Amino acid sequence: LHTIFQMAAYDPSNTHANVLTDEAQELKGTDARLTTILGAVAVSDLVKSTLGPKGMDKIIMSQTQASGVTVTNDGATIMKQLLVDNPAGKILVDISKSQDDEIGDGTTSVCVLAGQLLQQAEQLLSAHIHPQTIVAGWRMALNEAKKTLEQSAIDYSNNEEQFRQALFKIAKTTLSSKIVRNAHDHFANLAVDAVMRIRKQGDLELIQILKKAGGSMSDSFLEEGFILDKKIGVGQPRRIEKAKIMVANTPMDTDKIKIYGAKVKTDSIAKVAEIEKAEINKMMKKCEKIAGHGINCFINRQLIYNKPEQYFAQKGIMAIEHADFDGIERLAMALGAEIVSTFDAPGMVRLGECEVIEEVLIGEDRMIRFSGCKAPEACTIVMRGSSQHILAEAERSLHDALCVLLTACKDPRIVYGGGSTEIAMAEAVDALAKRTAGKKAMAIEAFARALRSIPKIIAENGGYDSADLVSQLRAAHSEGMPNPGLDMREGAIGDMAELGITEAFRSKMQVLVSASEAAEMIVRCDEVIRAAPRAREDPHPH
Amino acid sequence: TAACARIFIMPPAAAAAPKATAAKNELRDDGKAKRSDVRQSNIAAAKAVADAIRTSLGPRGMDKMVQKADGEVLITNDGATIMEYMNINHPAAKMLVDLSKSQDIEAGDGTTSVVVLAGALLQACQSLLNRGIHPMKISESFQLALDKAEEVLTGMSIPVDIGDRDSLIQAASTSLNSKIVSHNAPLLAPLAVDAVRMVGDVERSMVDLRDVRVTKKLGGTVDDTELIEGLVFSQKIQKLAGGPSRVENAKIAVLQFQLSPPKSDMESSVVVSDYQQMDRILKEEKAYIAGICKQIAKTGANVILLQKSILRDAITDLGLHFLSKLKIMLVKDVERDDIDFICRTLRCVPIAQPDALHASKLGTAKLVQEFPTPEGKIVKITGVPQPCKTVSILCRGSNKLMIDENERSIHDALCVVRSLYQRKFLIPGGGAPEMEVNYKLTEWSKTLGGMEAFCVRAFAEALEVIPATLAENAGLHPIQLVTELRNRHATGNKYDGLNIKKGCISNIHDLGVIQPLQVNLSALGLATELCRMILKIDDIVFTA
Repeated sequence: LHTIFQMAAYDPSNTHANVLTDEAQELKGTDARLTTILGAVAVSDLVKSTLGPKGMDKIIMSQTQASGVTVTNDGATIMKQLLVDNPAGKILVDISKSQDDEIGDGTTSVCVLAGQLLQQAEQLLSAHIHPQTIVAGWRMALNEAKKTLEQSAIDYSNNEEQFRQALFKIAKTTLSSKIVRNAHDHFANLAVDAVMRIRKQGDLELIQILKKAGGSMSDSFLEEGFILDKKIGVGQPRRIEKAKIMVANTPMDTDKIKIYGAKVKTDSIAKVAEIEKAEINKMMKKCEKIAGHGINCFINRQLIYNKPEQYFAQKGIMAIEHADFDGIERLAMALGAEIVSTFDAPGMVRLGECEVIEEVLIGEDRMIRFSGCKAPEACTIVMRGSSQHILAEAERSLHDALCVLLTACKDPRIVYGGGSTEIAMAEAVDALAKRTAGKKAMAIEAFARALRSIPKIIAENGGYDSADLVSQLRAAHSEGMPNPGLDMREGAIGDMAELGITEAFRSKMQVLVSASEAAEMIVRCDEVIRAAPRAREDPHPH
Repeated sequence: TAACARIFIMPPAAAAAPKATAAKNELRDDGKAKRSDVRQSNIAAAKAVADAIRTSLGPRGMDKMVQKADGEVLITNDGATIMEYMNINHPAAKMLVDLSKSQDIEAGDGTTSVVVLAGALLQACQSLLNRGIHPMKISESFQLALDKAEEVLTGMSIPVDIGDRDSLIQAASTSLNSKIVSHNAPLLAPLAVDAVRMVGDVERSMVDLRDVRVTKKLGGTVDDTELIEGLVFSQKIQKLAGGPSRVENAKIAVLQFQLSPPKSDMESSVVVSDYQQMDRILKEEKAYIAGICKQIAKTGANVILLQKSILRDAITDLGLHFLSKLKIMLVKDVERDDIDFICRTLRCVPIAQPDALHASKLGTAKLVQEFPTPEGKIVKITGVPQPCKTVSILCRGSNKLMIDENERSIHDALCVVRSLYQRKFLIPGGGAPEMEVNYKLTEWSKTLGGMEAFCVRAFAEALEVIPATLAENAGLHPIQLVTELRNRHATGNKYDGLNIKKGCISNIHDLGVIQPLQVNLSALGLATELCRMILKIDDIVFTA
């Protein structure tokens, strides 16, 4: 399939100008097109089977790390890990990533739609339709599709109760394709509750997700405030009300003098004892300074050794050592504190505050809960599940759901899922094709076919007769049935409004626009130039 | 064994080869064929693991000898432990290992059954797939079957009162009976029950097993394992001649500083230029240590628990000498991680520096005494302040293999009792619940239509693996017994199961072979979950 145009040594009979360096490659014409289109289609085929509520999962296995096994259904996770050598394949991986960053969901859809468009393009190209004609037709089709999508969008933002319901349905639809399916009502509620708290702030960092193996998925819960998986020092208070908290990152063994080879010489044990004493005193002074801030809880990123621990215990200060970095950052944000490492100016330090700090039992573990934080939005979702694989996948799906909900909060319009909008768009685009004269009409029709293939793939993944279902869906649409879509539970056509299968408008729009942009970009390429790999120095010269 | 060998030696390369190359060549191939290959290879791998540990199920299960990578040998029949040391490479087989771990977290017992169940369910999947049923359909029907099975299990369970010590002991014995230490069950079961009852919180249904400290000491036999209301240390008392080895009405100080010459954090050296100075230094050292010892004695402490230090000696001979003179007993090398437990048991506060010594920080105990064992001495602290919410178990065994197995068995028994706190129901063992679910599901499947009925029946049949394997491992006739068992259940004897000891079928509940419902529920739930997960996987993607 691939002819590689490799520049040989200078050959006067060669009519090509010798413009490329050795080892650089150039692919032209049909070869270039085959490489790009087939490459992209291969990537899209790989994730195709994960689409929809009955999509399959993949095992992602790392070849270097023995323990690195991930089981996932999340398009972005699969694509991120994929080793893709093909330039067009990389474009697909990129649009999937940007969909993940911008919306958080629809990462598989965008890739699959682009792949389907390219598959259609391949046929058009072999029928000798010029790429520019295809692009022109697609642009018209895209505009028509966008118009249809906007018309079908529903806005619930002026009714709080309905809006919450709408969010719940969106969360449920997103989660339905993931492993948490068995408990998706529960998880959808968790996600909606969490997002409703932070919708003004719009910062997902305020939602902490804590994974604890054991229990079942439905034991997962949302906890107001922040939970830290650490222990309180020995002999210190286990519960504090109206806490004033200092979050610090400082060594609590000794502040060593950082001069290389510094050494003390003495002539007696007593003097060594004095130095030891001085060192301890120095540390105690530091502790006093810390306590001098008027705090009753001290959280350190580093270890707190015995002596400071004892000091804090005497002062009735709760001291928590070795909080991990991520924990510290979030905690500082939730408590409204800053991370401190010098203690000379008590007035300048912003301390954290919260109503109650207490030990709680989660599963079999004792953890520390901070409730009534300064940032009232802060909350923690504690996820329970039987194994690490399931927890990790559940976290990914929950994260997707949170992202989509946040998007939906910003743009409260919703559309119906289950292939309903795709069919509506496809029909509108088909109608446009009929009105359009010239070869462009073929490209427009191809666009409609690509849109229709989305419900087809969803049905196929569920083990249903896809050709039959999609034709039924088309018929239902033209007969004027309200919001017809695929009911994947029954394997039949149903009313999406009744089934509550809804998606965020912005997510759908983004999928449509970036998939067609990517496909267009790939179709317009007529040549692939591959730079020579960077010369590596031979590590073992002979 | 051929299938087994494939997993261990030829990692996933075989399964993965078609996909890995396909992705790189960017060739489109026929997706369907490849996907069913991946699924079949996953199922085969998982089943091979299940077959490997199948023989260790039940009271007559065999043990496995595991030679670890470092050459050390381990003998066990604990499913989770065997799998932990299997060098498994295949991703699907690895999931089975995790399955066993999850069961350990969930119920603490049944780690072998869960894997055997998963193997049987996967076998059922395989034949259903071969009949051309879509994996999604199988997966959904299995979930339906699971929901129904949970209903049946809950329906046949027997509520238990946490105050009923005998029932708890029976449950713990069932777990212990399948271990190497089975003949010690009459000793270990009550021990585990008492330990959990001591630390458990009945009202909140919570048991924190970290409040039970298991200390291992080589020597003696499993029979010497004992429960101690207080503390036990596997290290001996540090003393010079004349020091006490038994202290009554002890006042105990938990020290986190060292009784040795001072050492600064900065590198320091004492420079000696003549003989007199040397003399003086010796005197100073003596005075320094004597000073600390006197300070300790002033608080009235007569027992010291000294935290281990990695930076310097926790105590020198000189310190020991003074302490012996002051009749203070010393236990050194106490781990920092144990300090919290010790302090909660003795109701004391750790002391991090000599200045902070104070009588109010001491803990009390009626008796601290050293006991000799064949492998060195141990220290027991008993008569700690009541009510005591912590407890220690001194775990004994005649060799390292035995003692490790003993510890694992005690852990399992503790977990079994703990799971009864969380879900206060018992269910008979001996394959009775599985057969009951089998019967009820088969009956129920007759009311279903189409593929669902077919899959539910296959699910029900797969459960027969438990009684069949129990019988097989005990050298009984599996087919004959399982058939008879099925008849018994059809006539309404829902508690009938395999009586392994007598080799016949009897009412298992009357025999007292009972286990927590949690064990069965979680085993069935987890095994089904794993099956559904493997069915859903249609591809293996390789990354760097």
